[in-house]
Amino acid sequence: MEIPDDAHEEIMKGVFTYIERDFIRWIRYRVGVISSLVLPAAWLLFVGLALPVQFTGNYLDFITPGILVMTILTAGISSGSLLMFDKMLGFLNKFLAMPVPRESILISKILFITFRGIIQTSIILILATLIGASILNPLQYGMIYLILFLFGVFIAAFSTTVALYLDDHDSFAAFTAMVTMPLFFTSSALMPYEVMPDWLRMIAHVNPLSYAIDAIRDLGTGVIPVVPIGVLAVFAAVIVVISGYVFRKVTV
Amino acid sequence: MVAIQTENLTKNFGNLCAVDDLTLEADKEIFGLLGPNGSGKTTTVLMLTTLLAQTKGQAWICGYDTRKEPDKVRSSLSYVPQDMAIDTNLTGRENMMIFAKLYGIPHPRERIDELLGVMELSDRADDLAKTYSGGMRRRLELAEALVHEPEVIFLDEPTLGLDVGARKIIWEHIHALNRKGMTIFVTTHYMDEADRFCDRVGIINHGKIAALGKPSDLKTLLMKDVIAVTLEGDYHPIEEKTVLFVGQSDNVISFTAENGREALALLADALTRAGNKVKSMELREPSLDDVFLQSVGRQEESQGFEEWKYRMMLMRRS
Repeated sequence: MEIPDDAHEEIMKGVFTYIERDFIRWIRYRVGVISSLVLPAAWLLFVGLALPVQFTGNYLDFITPGILVMTILTAGISSGSLLMFDKMLGFLNKFLAMPVPRESILISKILFITFRGIIQTSIILILATLIGASILNPLQYGMIYLILFLFGVFIAAFSTTVALYLDDHDSFAAFTAMVTMPLFFTSSALMPYEVMPDWLRMIAHVNPLSYAIDAIRDLGTGVIPVVPIGVLAVFAAVIVVISGYVFRKVTV
Repeated sequence: MVAIQTENLTKNFGNLCAVDDLTLEADKEIFGLLGPNGSGKTTTVLMLTTLLAQTKGQAWICGYDTRKEPDKVRSSLSYVPQDMAIDTNLTGRENMMIFAKLYGIPHPRERIDELLGVMELSDRADDLAKTYSGGMRRRLELAEALVHEPEVIFLDEPTLGLDVGARKIIWEHIHALNRKGMTIFVTTHYMDEADRFCDRVGIINHGKIAALGKPSDLKTLLMKDVIAVTLEGDYHPIEEKTVLFVGQSDNVISFTAENGREALALLADALTRAGNKVKSMELREPSLDDVFLQSVGRQEESQGFEEWKYRMMLMRRS
Protein backbone atom coordinates (compact mmCIF):
# COMPACT_ATOMS: atom_id res chain seq x y z
CA MET A 1 0.00 0.00 0.00
CA GLU A 2 1.36 3.41 -0.98
CA ILE A 3 1.32 6.00 1.76
CA PRO A 4 1.50 9.63 0.57
CA ASP A 5 4.22 11.92 1.94
CA ASP A 6 1.95 14.16 3.98
CA ALA A 7 0.58 11.07 5.74
CA HIS A 8 4.12 10.26 6.86
CA GLU A 9 4.39 13.79 8.19
CA GLU A 10 1.08 13.40 10.04
CA ILE A 11 2.22 10.10 11.56
CA MET A 12 5.49 11.63 12.77
CA LYS A 13 3.72 14.64 14.30
CA GLY A 14 1.53 12.28 16.29
CA VAL A 15 4.51 10.10 17.22
CA PHE A 16 6.40 13.09 18.66
CA THR A 17 3.45 14.24 20.73
CA TYR A 18 2.80 10.78 22.13
CA ILE A 19 6.51 10.37 22.96
CA GLU A 20 6.50 13.76 24.66
CA ARG A 21 3.57 12.64 26.81
CA ASP A 22 5.21 9.36 27.83
CA PHE A 23 8.52 11.10 28.47
CA ILE A 24 7.07 13.74 30.82
CA ARG A 25 5.16 11.03 32.66
CA TRP A 26 8.32 8.96 33.00
CA ILE A 27 10.61 11.67 34.37
CA ARG A 28 7.95 12.86 36.82
CA TYR A 29 7.72 9.32 38.18
CA ARG A 30 11.14 9.48 39.84
CA VAL A 31 11.00 6.16 41.67
CA GLY A 32 10.47 4.46 38.33
CA VAL A 33 13.50 6.15 36.79
CA ILE A 34 15.75 5.08 39.64
CA SER A 35 14.38 1.56 39.97
CA SER A 36 14.88 0.90 36.27
CA LEU A 37 18.60 1.51 36.80
CA VAL A 38 19.09 -0.37 40.04
CA LEU A 39 18.66 -3.89 38.70
CA PRO A 40 21.19 -3.73 35.83
CA ALA A 41 23.65 -1.79 38.01
CA ALA A 42 23.36 -4.46 40.68
CA TRP A 43 24.02 -7.18 38.10
CA LEU A 44 27.01 -5.36 36.81
CA LEU A 45 28.51 -4.81 40.26
CA PHE A 46 27.71 -8.14 41.88
CA VAL A 47 28.16 -10.45 38.94
CA GLY A 48 30.83 -8.46 37.13
CA LEU A 49 33.01 -7.67 40.11
CA ALA A 50 32.09 -9.84 43.03
CA LEU A 51 31.46 -13.25 41.51
CA PRO A 52 34.59 -15.38 41.78
CA VAL A 53 34.41 -16.77 38.25
CA GLN A 54 37.14 -16.64 35.68
CA PHE A 55 35.88 -17.81 32.30
CA THR A 56 37.89 -15.19 30.48
CA GLY A 57 40.63 -12.69 31.06
CA ASN A 58 38.54 -9.66 31.95
CA TYR A 59 35.16 -10.94 33.14
CA LEU A 60 33.79 -7.38 33.30
CA ASP A 61 34.45 -6.97 29.58
CA PHE A 62 32.72 -10.29 29.06
CA ILE A 63 29.68 -9.57 31.22
CA THR A 64 29.06 -5.94 30.17
CA PRO A 65 27.51 -6.79 26.76
CA GLY A 66 25.19 -9.23 28.55
CA ILE A 67 24.12 -6.62 31.09
CA LEU A 68 23.60 -4.01 28.35
CA VAL A 69 21.34 -6.34 26.42
CA MET A 70 19.53 -7.35 29.61
CA THR A 71 18.90 -3.67 30.38
CA ILE A 72 17.36 -3.08 27.00
CA LEU A 73 15.40 -6.33 27.34
CA THR A 74 13.77 -5.36 30.66
CA ALA A 75 13.20 -1.84 29.34
CA GLY A 76 11.72 -3.07 26.08
CA ILE A 77 9.47 -5.70 27.54
CA SER A 78 7.69 -2.97 29.53
CA SER A 79 6.59 -1.36 26.27
CA GLY A 80 3.47 -3.46 26.29
CA SER A 81 2.81 -2.41 29.84
CA LEU A 82 2.67 1.20 28.73
CA LEU A 83 0.12 0.36 26.07
CA MET A 84 -1.77 -1.90 28.45
CA PHE A 85 -2.24 0.92 30.94
CA ASP A 86 -3.38 3.29 28.22
CA LYS A 87 -5.90 0.65 27.21
CA MET A 88 -7.11 -0.08 30.75
CA LEU A 89 -7.38 3.55 31.83
CA GLY A 90 -9.33 4.71 28.78
CA PHE A 91 -6.60 6.76 27.12
CA LEU A 92 -6.34 4.45 24.14
CA ASN A 93 -10.01 4.86 23.24
CA LYS A 94 -9.64 8.64 23.44
CA PHE A 95 -6.61 8.57 21.18
CA LEU A 96 -8.19 6.13 18.74
CA ALA A 97 -11.19 8.46 18.35
CA MET A 98 -8.89 11.23 17.10
CA PRO A 99 -8.04 11.97 13.47
CA VAL A 100 -4.29 11.44 14.15
CA PRO A 101 -3.11 8.37 12.20
CA ARG A 102 -3.54 5.47 14.61
CA GLU A 103 -0.22 3.87 13.75
CA SER A 104 1.52 6.76 15.49
CA ILE A 105 0.38 5.40 18.86
CA LEU A 106 2.14 2.11 18.23
CA ILE A 107 5.27 3.63 16.70
CA SER A 108 5.56 6.12 19.56
CA LYS A 109 5.45 3.39 22.20
CA ILE A 110 8.12 1.32 20.46
CA LEU A 111 10.40 4.31 19.87
CA PHE A 112 9.94 5.82 23.31
CA ILE A 113 10.70 2.56 25.08
CA THR A 114 13.74 1.92 22.92
CA PHE A 115 14.94 5.48 23.54
CA ARG A 116 14.39 5.04 27.27
CA GLY A 117 16.32 1.77 27.20
CA ILE A 118 19.17 3.51 25.35
CA ILE A 119 19.38 6.12 28.13
CA GLN A 120 19.53 3.35 30.72
CA THR A 121 22.17 1.38 28.83
CA SER A 122 24.27 4.54 28.46
CA ILE A 123 24.38 4.87 32.23
CA ILE A 124 25.32 1.20 32.54
CA LEU A 125 28.03 1.64 29.92
CA ILE A 126 29.50 4.61 31.79
CA LEU A 127 29.34 2.69 35.05
CA ALA A 128 31.07 -0.33 33.49
CA THR A 129 33.85 1.85 32.12
CA LEU A 130 34.31 3.48 35.52
CA ILE A 131 34.78 0.15 37.27
CA GLY A 132 37.24 -1.15 34.76
CA ALA A 133 35.76 -2.25 31.42
CA SER A 134 37.98 -1.54 28.42
CA ILE A 135 37.47 1.71 26.54
CA LEU A 136 36.51 1.27 22.87
CA ASN A 137 36.77 3.59 19.88
CA PRO A 138 33.86 5.81 18.75
CA LEU A 139 32.92 3.56 15.85
CA GLN A 140 32.63 0.60 18.18
CA TYR A 141 30.40 2.60 20.54
CA GLY A 142 28.29 3.67 17.58
CA MET A 143 27.85 0.06 16.52
CA ILE A 144 26.94 -0.95 20.08
CA TYR A 145 24.17 1.63 20.04
CA LEU A 146 22.96 0.41 16.67
CA ILE A 147 22.76 -3.16 17.96
CA LEU A 148 21.00 -2.08 21.15
CA PHE A 149 18.56 0.04 19.16
CA LEU A 150 17.64 -2.80 16.80
CA PHE A 151 17.28 -5.24 19.66
CA GLY A 152 15.21 -2.67 21.61
CA VAL A 153 12.82 -2.18 18.70
CA PHE A 154 12.56 -5.95 18.32
CA ILE A 155 11.66 -6.53 22.00
CA ALA A 156 9.40 -3.46 22.32
CA ALA A 157 7.39 -4.42 19.24
CA PHE A 158 7.10 -8.00 20.46
CA SER A 159 5.90 -6.91 23.90
CA THR A 160 3.42 -4.43 22.43
CA THR A 161 1.96 -7.12 20.20
CA VAL A 162 1.42 -9.42 23.16
CA ALA A 163 -0.16 -6.58 25.17
CA LEU A 164 -2.66 -5.99 22.37
CA TYR A 165 -3.90 -9.54 22.77
CA LEU A 166 -4.04 -9.69 26.57
CA ASP A 167 -6.90 -8.16 28.53
CA ASP A 168 -5.46 -7.08 31.84
CA HIS A 169 -2.24 -6.03 33.39
CA ASP A 170 -1.90 -9.04 35.68
CA SER A 171 -1.62 -11.45 32.79
CA PHE A 172 0.82 -9.12 31.11
CA ALA A 173 2.99 -8.95 34.23
CA ALA A 174 2.94 -12.76 34.36
CA PHE A 175 3.99 -12.84 30.73
CA THR A 176 6.97 -10.52 31.24
CA ALA A 177 8.13 -12.44 34.31
CA MET A 178 7.86 -15.66 32.34
CA VAL A 179 9.86 -14.32 29.40
CA THR A 180 12.57 -12.06 30.82
CA MET A 181 14.57 -14.21 33.20
CA PRO A 182 14.54 -17.49 31.23
CA LEU A 183 15.60 -15.58 28.11
CA PHE A 184 18.46 -14.03 30.03
CA PHE A 185 19.70 -17.22 31.65
CA THR A 186 19.54 -19.25 28.46
CA SER A 187 21.55 -16.68 26.52
CA SER A 188 25.29 -16.27 26.25
CA ALA A 189 25.15 -13.38 28.71
CA LEU A 190 26.80 -15.02 31.72
CA MET A 191 29.17 -17.60 30.29
CA PRO A 192 30.92 -18.43 27.04
CA TYR A 193 29.52 -21.23 24.87
CA GLU A 194 32.54 -23.43 25.60
CA VAL A 195 31.71 -23.87 29.29
CA MET A 196 27.95 -24.39 28.80
CA PRO A 197 26.36 -27.82 29.11
CA ASP A 198 25.28 -29.15 25.70
CA TRP A 199 21.56 -28.56 26.15
CA LEU A 200 22.14 -24.96 27.21
CA ARG A 201 24.49 -24.33 24.32
CA MET A 202 21.80 -25.39 21.88
CA ILE A 203 19.22 -23.06 23.38
CA ALA A 204 21.72 -20.23 23.72
CA HIS A 205 22.55 -20.39 20.03
CA VAL A 206 18.95 -19.76 18.97
CA ASN A 207 18.18 -17.26 21.71
CA PRO A 208 17.73 -13.79 20.12
CA LEU A 209 19.45 -12.29 23.14
CA SER A 210 22.65 -14.15 22.24
CA TYR A 211 22.65 -12.57 18.78
CA ALA A 212 22.81 -9.10 20.28
CA ILE A 213 25.26 -10.07 23.01
CA ASP A 214 27.63 -11.93 20.69
CA ALA A 215 27.54 -9.04 18.23
CA ILE A 216 28.60 -6.59 20.93
CA ARG A 217 31.34 -8.98 22.08
CA ASP A 218 32.61 -9.31 18.52
CA LEU A 219 32.92 -5.53 18.42
CA GLY A 220 35.16 -5.68 21.49
CA THR A 221 37.53 -8.02 19.67
CA GLY A 222 37.70 -5.73 16.65
CA VAL A 223 35.29 -7.63 14.35
CA ILE A 224 32.43 -5.75 12.65
CA PRO A 225 29.44 -8.11 13.13
CA VAL A 226 27.68 -7.48 9.84
CA VAL A 227 25.67 -10.69 9.78
CA PRO A 228 24.25 -10.50 13.34
CA ILE A 229 23.32 -6.85 12.79
CA GLY A 230 21.59 -7.82 9.57
CA VAL A 231 19.72 -10.64 11.30
CA LEU A 232 18.64 -8.33 14.12
CA ALA A 233 17.46 -5.72 11.63
CA VAL A 234 15.38 -8.30 9.78
CA PHE A 235 13.89 -9.63 13.02
CA ALA A 236 13.04 -6.12 14.20
CA ALA A 237 11.42 -5.23 10.89
CA VAL A 238 9.36 -8.43 10.79
CA ILE A 239 8.05 -7.99 14.35
CA VAL A 240 7.22 -4.32 13.72
CA VAL A 241 5.19 -5.28 10.66
CA ILE A 242 3.38 -8.03 12.59
CA SER A 243 2.74 -5.62 15.45
CA GLY A 244 1.28 -3.06 13.05
CA TYR A 245 -0.95 -5.68 11.53
CA VAL A 246 -2.23 -6.88 14.92
CA PHE A 247 -2.73 -3.30 16.05
CA ARG A 248 -4.86 -2.53 13.03
CA LYS A 249 -6.84 -5.72 13.53
CA VAL A 250 -7.70 -5.13 17.19
CA THR A 251 -8.55 -1.46 16.77
CA VAL A 252 -10.98 -1.69 13.87
CA MET B 1 -26.99 17.65 7.59
CA VAL B 2 -27.91 15.56 10.60
CA ALA B 3 -25.21 15.35 13.27
CA ILE B 4 -25.83 11.75 14.31
CA GLN B 5 -27.74 9.23 12.25
CA THR B 6 -27.93 5.47 12.41
CA GLU B 7 -29.80 2.99 10.28
CA ASN B 8 -30.39 -0.60 11.40
CA LEU B 9 -27.16 -0.45 13.35
CA THR B 10 -26.46 -3.94 14.73
CA LYS B 11 -23.59 -5.44 16.65
CA ASN B 12 -23.22 -9.12 17.48
CA PHE B 13 -20.57 -10.54 19.76
CA GLY B 14 -20.71 -14.20 18.84
CA ASN B 15 -24.24 -15.28 19.68
CA LEU B 16 -24.96 -12.23 21.79
CA CYS B 17 -26.69 -9.34 20.09
CA ALA B 18 -25.40 -6.26 21.91
CA VAL B 19 -27.10 -3.69 19.72
CA ASP B 20 -30.12 -4.76 17.73
CA ASP B 21 -31.27 -2.86 14.65
CA LEU B 22 -30.84 0.61 16.10
CA THR B 23 -32.22 3.48 14.04
CA LEU B 24 -32.09 6.97 15.46
CA GLU B 25 -31.18 10.57 14.77
CA ALA B 26 -29.90 13.38 16.92
CA ASP B 27 -29.17 16.91 15.81
CA LYS B 28 -28.19 20.07 17.69
CA GLU B 29 -29.68 18.70 20.87
CA ILE B 30 -28.71 16.93 24.06
CA PHE B 31 -29.60 13.32 23.42
CA GLY B 32 -29.54 10.91 26.33
CA LEU B 33 -29.13 7.19 25.86
CA LEU B 34 -30.44 5.45 28.98
CA GLY B 35 -30.36 1.82 29.91
CA PRO B 36 -29.32 -0.70 32.52
CA ASN B 37 -25.77 -2.07 32.61
CA GLY B 38 -25.04 -4.23 29.61
CA SER B 39 -27.94 -2.87 27.57
CA GLY B 40 -25.72 -1.78 24.69
CA LYS B 41 -25.14 1.89 25.50
CA THR B 42 -21.37 1.81 25.39
CA THR B 43 -21.33 -0.52 22.39
CA THR B 44 -23.47 2.02 20.55
CA VAL B 45 -21.14 4.87 21.47
CA LEU B 46 -18.08 2.84 20.43
CA MET B 47 -19.60 2.19 17.02
CA LEU B 48 -20.54 5.84 16.54
CA THR B 49 -17.03 6.98 17.48
CA THR B 50 -15.35 4.56 15.00
CA LEU B 51 -13.87 2.44 17.77
CA LEU B 52 -15.88 -0.65 16.90
CA ALA B 53 -17.10 -2.02 13.59
CA GLN B 54 -20.78 -2.85 13.37
CA THR B 55 -22.02 -6.22 12.19
CA LYS B 56 -24.79 -4.68 10.11
CA GLY B 57 -26.33 -1.32 9.30
CA GLN B 58 -24.80 2.10 8.93
CA ALA B 59 -24.03 5.17 10.96
CA TRP B 60 -23.18 8.71 9.92
CA ILE B 61 -21.64 11.56 11.87
CA CYS B 62 -22.22 14.94 10.19
CA GLY B 63 -23.01 13.04 7.02
CA TYR B 64 -19.80 11.00 6.99
CA ASP B 65 -20.07 7.22 7.07
CA THR B 66 -18.29 5.89 10.17
CA ARG B 67 -16.79 2.98 8.24
CA LYS B 68 -15.99 4.63 4.93
CA GLU B 69 -14.72 8.02 6.09
CA PRO B 70 -13.48 7.42 9.63
CA ASP B 71 -10.94 10.27 9.52
CA LYS B 72 -13.60 12.84 8.70
CA VAL B 73 -15.84 11.36 11.39
CA ARG B 74 -13.04 11.59 13.94
CA SER B 75 -12.38 15.21 13.00
CA SER B 76 -16.02 16.06 13.62
CA LEU B 77 -16.38 14.48 17.04
CA SER B 78 -14.93 14.18 20.49
CA TYR B 79 -15.29 11.18 22.75
CA VAL B 80 -15.02 11.33 26.53
CA PRO B 81 -15.12 7.78 27.94
CA GLN B 82 -16.35 7.18 31.45
CA ASP B 83 -12.93 6.13 32.77
CA MET B 84 -11.76 9.72 33.46
CA ALA B 85 -8.55 9.42 31.52
CA ILE B 86 -6.34 12.39 32.28
CA ASP B 87 -2.63 12.31 33.04
CA THR B 88 -2.50 13.14 36.72
CA ASN B 89 1.26 13.79 36.73
CA LEU B 90 0.81 16.49 34.11
CA THR B 91 -0.68 19.91 34.79
CA GLY B 92 -4.06 20.83 33.36
CA ARG B 93 -2.38 22.99 30.76
CA GLU B 94 0.05 20.20 29.76
CA ASN B 95 -2.83 17.77 29.40
CA MET B 96 -4.54 20.27 27.08
CA MET B 97 -1.34 20.87 25.11
CA ILE B 98 -1.03 17.16 24.25
CA PHE B 99 -4.54 17.23 22.80
CA ALA B 100 -4.00 20.52 20.97
CA LYS B 101 -0.84 19.12 19.36
CA LEU B 102 -2.48 15.84 18.43
CA TYR B 103 -5.31 17.72 16.73
CA GLY B 104 -2.83 20.12 15.13
CA ILE B 105 -4.51 23.31 16.36
CA PRO B 106 -3.00 26.46 14.77
CA HIS B 107 -2.68 28.68 17.87
CA PRO B 108 -2.69 26.17 20.71
CA ARG B 109 -1.72 28.52 23.56
CA GLU B 110 -4.53 31.00 22.94
CA ARG B 111 -7.05 28.23 22.38
CA ILE B 112 -6.04 26.45 25.59
CA ASP B 113 -6.24 29.65 27.65
CA GLU B 114 -9.68 30.33 26.26
CA LEU B 115 -11.00 26.83 26.99
CA LEU B 116 -9.51 26.67 30.48
CA GLY B 117 -11.34 29.94 31.09
CA VAL B 118 -14.62 28.57 29.79
CA MET B 119 -14.31 25.52 32.05
CA GLU B 120 -13.33 27.73 35.03
CA LEU B 121 -9.93 26.10 35.44
CA SER B 122 -7.69 29.11 34.69
CA ASP B 123 -6.45 29.63 38.23
CA ARG B 124 -5.51 25.95 38.62
CA ALA B 125 -4.17 25.42 35.08
CA ASP B 126 -0.55 25.00 36.17
CA ASP B 127 -1.19 22.63 39.06
CA LEU B 128 -0.69 18.90 38.57
CA ALA B 129 -3.98 17.26 37.66
CA LYS B 130 -3.69 14.86 40.57
CA THR B 131 -4.59 17.74 42.88
CA TYR B 132 -7.88 18.28 41.00
CA SER B 133 -11.25 17.20 42.35
CA GLY B 134 -13.42 14.80 40.36
CA GLY B 135 -15.50 17.64 38.99
CA MET B 136 -12.42 19.57 37.89
CA ARG B 137 -11.00 16.48 36.17
CA ARG B 138 -14.23 16.11 34.24
CA ARG B 139 -14.15 19.76 33.26
CA LEU B 140 -10.57 19.34 32.09
CA GLU B 141 -11.69 16.42 29.95
CA LEU B 142 -14.47 18.56 28.49
CA ALA B 143 -11.95 21.32 27.75
CA GLU B 144 -9.73 18.75 25.99
CA ALA B 145 -12.68 17.49 24.00
CA LEU B 146 -13.46 21.03 22.78
CA VAL B 147 -9.98 21.84 21.59
CA HIS B 148 -10.72 21.20 17.89
CA GLU B 149 -14.25 22.65 17.99
CA PRO B 150 -16.08 19.41 17.23
CA GLU B 151 -19.67 19.41 16.06
CA VAL B 152 -20.60 16.35 18.08
CA ILE B 153 -19.49 15.30 21.57
CA PHE B 154 -20.01 11.83 23.02
CA LEU B 155 -20.02 11.69 26.81
CA ASP B 156 -20.13 8.31 28.50
CA GLU B 157 -21.56 8.68 32.03
CA PRO B 158 -20.28 12.24 32.45
CA THR B 159 -21.47 12.68 36.03
CA LEU B 160 -20.87 9.21 37.43
CA GLY B 161 -19.31 9.33 40.88
CA LEU B 162 -19.42 13.14 41.18
CA ASP B 163 -21.08 14.98 44.04
CA VAL B 164 -24.30 16.93 43.54
CA GLY B 165 -22.64 20.30 43.12
CA ALA B 166 -20.10 19.05 40.59
CA ARG B 167 -22.83 17.28 38.60
CA LYS B 168 -24.84 20.46 38.33
CA ILE B 169 -21.83 22.38 37.03
CA ILE B 170 -21.05 19.69 34.44
CA TRP B 171 -24.61 19.78 33.18
CA GLU B 172 -24.57 23.58 33.00
CA HIS B 173 -21.49 23.36 30.80
CA ILE B 174 -23.08 20.70 28.62
CA HIS B 175 -26.11 22.94 28.27
CA ALA B 176 -23.99 25.95 27.32
CA LEU B 177 -22.20 23.93 24.62
CA ASN B 178 -25.50 22.81 23.21
CA ARG B 179 -26.71 26.42 23.03
CA LYS B 180 -23.73 27.17 20.78
CA GLY B 181 -25.06 24.58 18.34
CA MET B 182 -23.16 21.48 19.39
CA THR B 183 -24.84 18.08 19.37
CA ILE B 184 -24.27 16.20 22.60
CA PHE B 185 -24.79 12.48 22.98
CA VAL B 186 -24.77 11.33 26.60
CA THR B 187 -25.21 7.99 28.23
CA THR B 188 -26.28 8.02 31.85
CA HIS B 189 -27.73 6.00 34.70
CA TYR B 190 -29.18 9.06 36.40
CA MET B 191 -32.79 9.34 35.32
CA ASP B 192 -33.42 12.60 37.17
CA GLU B 193 -30.54 14.23 35.30
CA ALA B 194 -31.70 12.91 31.95
CA ASP B 195 -35.19 14.16 32.78
CA ARG B 196 -33.98 17.66 33.56
CA PHE B 197 -31.22 18.21 31.04
CA CYS B 198 -31.78 16.06 27.94
CA ASP B 199 -33.87 17.34 25.07
CA ARG B 200 -34.65 13.81 23.98
CA VAL B 201 -33.90 10.42 25.43
CA GLY B 202 -33.78 6.91 24.12
CA ILE B 203 -34.23 4.03 26.52
CA ILE B 204 -32.30 0.98 25.40
CA ASN B 205 -32.70 -2.53 26.75
CA HIS B 206 -31.09 -5.70 25.43
CA GLY B 207 -29.78 -3.65 22.53
CA LYS B 208 -33.21 -2.46 21.42
CA ILE B 209 -34.76 0.99 21.77
CA ALA B 210 -37.68 0.57 24.16
CA ALA B 211 -38.81 4.20 24.23
CA LEU B 212 -37.73 7.31 22.35
CA GLY B 213 -38.78 10.93 22.67
CA LYS B 214 -38.85 14.02 24.87
CA PRO B 215 -38.83 13.15 28.57
CA SER B 216 -42.08 15.05 29.09
CA ASP B 217 -43.80 13.29 26.18
CA LEU B 218 -42.67 9.89 27.34
CA LYS B 219 -44.07 10.56 30.78
CA THR B 220 -47.48 11.78 29.65
CA LEU B 221 -47.81 9.27 26.85
CA LEU B 222 -47.07 6.30 28.99
CA MET B 223 -48.89 7.16 32.19
CA LYS B 224 -50.93 9.66 34.19
CA ASP B 225 -50.45 9.05 37.89
CA VAL B 226 -48.02 6.71 39.54
CA ILE B 227 -48.67 4.79 42.74
CA ALA B 228 -45.58 3.38 44.38
CA VAL B 229 -46.30 0.64 46.92
CA THR B 230 -43.73 -0.55 49.42
CA LEU B 231 -44.33 -4.16 50.39
CA GLU B 232 -43.17 -6.35 53.16
CA GLY B 233 -42.25 -9.72 51.72
CA ASP B 234 -42.77 -10.95 48.18
CA TYR B 235 -45.13 -9.48 45.65
CA HIS B 236 -48.14 -11.57 44.70
CA PRO B 237 -49.60 -10.37 41.39
CA ILE B 238 -53.04 -8.78 41.42
CA GLU B 239 -55.92 -8.40 38.99
CA GLU B 240 -57.28 -4.88 39.02
CA LYS B 241 -58.62 -3.18 35.86
CA THR B 242 -58.14 0.47 36.89
CA VAL B 243 -54.42 0.17 37.50
CA LEU B 244 -51.52 -1.03 35.37
CA PHE B 245 -48.44 -2.75 36.69
CA VAL B 246 -45.32 -0.75 35.80
CA GLY B 247 -42.47 -2.59 37.38
CA GLN B 248 -40.64 -3.65 40.47
CA SER B 249 -37.38 -2.49 41.94
CA ASP B 250 -36.46 -4.11 45.23
CA ASN B 251 -39.62 -4.21 47.33
CA VAL B 252 -41.22 -1.19 45.70
CA ILE B 253 -43.91 -2.00 43.16
CA SER B 254 -45.09 0.75 40.83
CA PHE B 255 -48.52 1.02 39.24
CA THR B 256 -50.00 3.61 36.98
CA ALA B 257 -53.61 4.76 36.85
CA GLU B 258 -55.76 7.30 34.99
CA ASN B 259 -56.94 8.74 38.27
CA GLY B 260 -54.58 7.96 41.06
CA ARG B 261 -56.71 9.23 43.93
CA GLU B 262 -59.60 6.92 43.07
CA ALA B 263 -57.32 4.02 42.33
CA LEU B 264 -55.56 4.17 45.68
CA ALA B 265 -58.29 2.51 47.68
CA LEU B 266 -59.06 -0.07 45.00
CA LEU B 267 -55.42 -0.95 44.70
CA ALA B 268 -54.96 -1.31 48.45
CA ASP B 269 -57.91 -3.72 48.56
CA ALA B 270 -56.68 -5.75 45.63
CA LEU B 271 -53.21 -6.05 47.09
CA THR B 272 -54.46 -7.26 50.44
CA ARG B 273 -56.84 -9.73 48.77
CA ALA B 274 -53.93 -11.23 46.81
CA GLY B 275 -52.03 -11.75 50.05
CA ASN B 276 -49.58 -8.86 49.93
CA LYS B 277 -48.48 -7.04 53.04
CA VAL B 278 -48.56 -3.32 52.26
CA LYS B 279 -46.15 -1.15 54.21
CA SER B 280 -46.84 2.20 52.57
CA MET B 281 -48.33 3.73 49.45
CA GLU B 282 -47.39 6.90 47.67
CA LEU B 283 -49.19 8.81 44.94
CA ARG B 284 -46.99 10.96 42.71
CA GLU B 285 -46.38 12.36 39.27
CA PRO B 286 -44.63 10.01 36.90
CA SER B 287 -40.86 10.43 36.63
CA LEU B 288 -38.48 9.19 33.96
CA ASP B 289 -37.60 6.45 36.43
CA ASP B 290 -41.11 5.04 36.00
CA VAL B 291 -40.88 5.25 32.24
CA PHE B 292 -37.56 3.47 32.45
CA LEU B 293 -38.91 0.79 34.74
CA GLN B 294 -41.87 0.19 32.47
CA SER B 295 -39.67 -0.03 29.38
CA VAL B 296 -37.03 -2.34 30.72
CA GLY B 297 -39.10 -4.31 33.21
CA ARG B 298 -37.48 -5.79 36.22
CA GLN B 299 -33.81 -4.91 36.46
CA GLU B 300 -31.28 -7.64 36.71
CA GLU B 301 -27.63 -7.30 37.58
CA SER B 302 -25.74 -7.61 34.36
CA GLN B 303 -23.04 -10.18 34.15
CA GLY B 304 -19.35 -9.59 33.70
CA PHE B 305 -19.24 -6.62 36.03
CA GLU B 306 -15.61 -5.64 36.37
CA GLU B 307 -15.28 -4.63 39.93
CA TRP B 308 -11.67 -3.45 39.75
CA LYS B 309 -12.65 -1.13 36.96
CA TYR B 310 -15.47 0.36 38.97
CA ARG B 311 -13.33 0.77 42.06
CA MET B 312 -10.59 2.40 40.08
CA MET B 313 -13.14 4.74 38.55
CA LEU B 314 -14.42 5.82 41.94
CA MET B 315 -10.89 6.20 43.24
CA ARG B 316 -9.94 8.56 40.47
CA ARG B 317 -12.94 10.71 41.10
CA SER B 318 -12.33 11.38 44.76
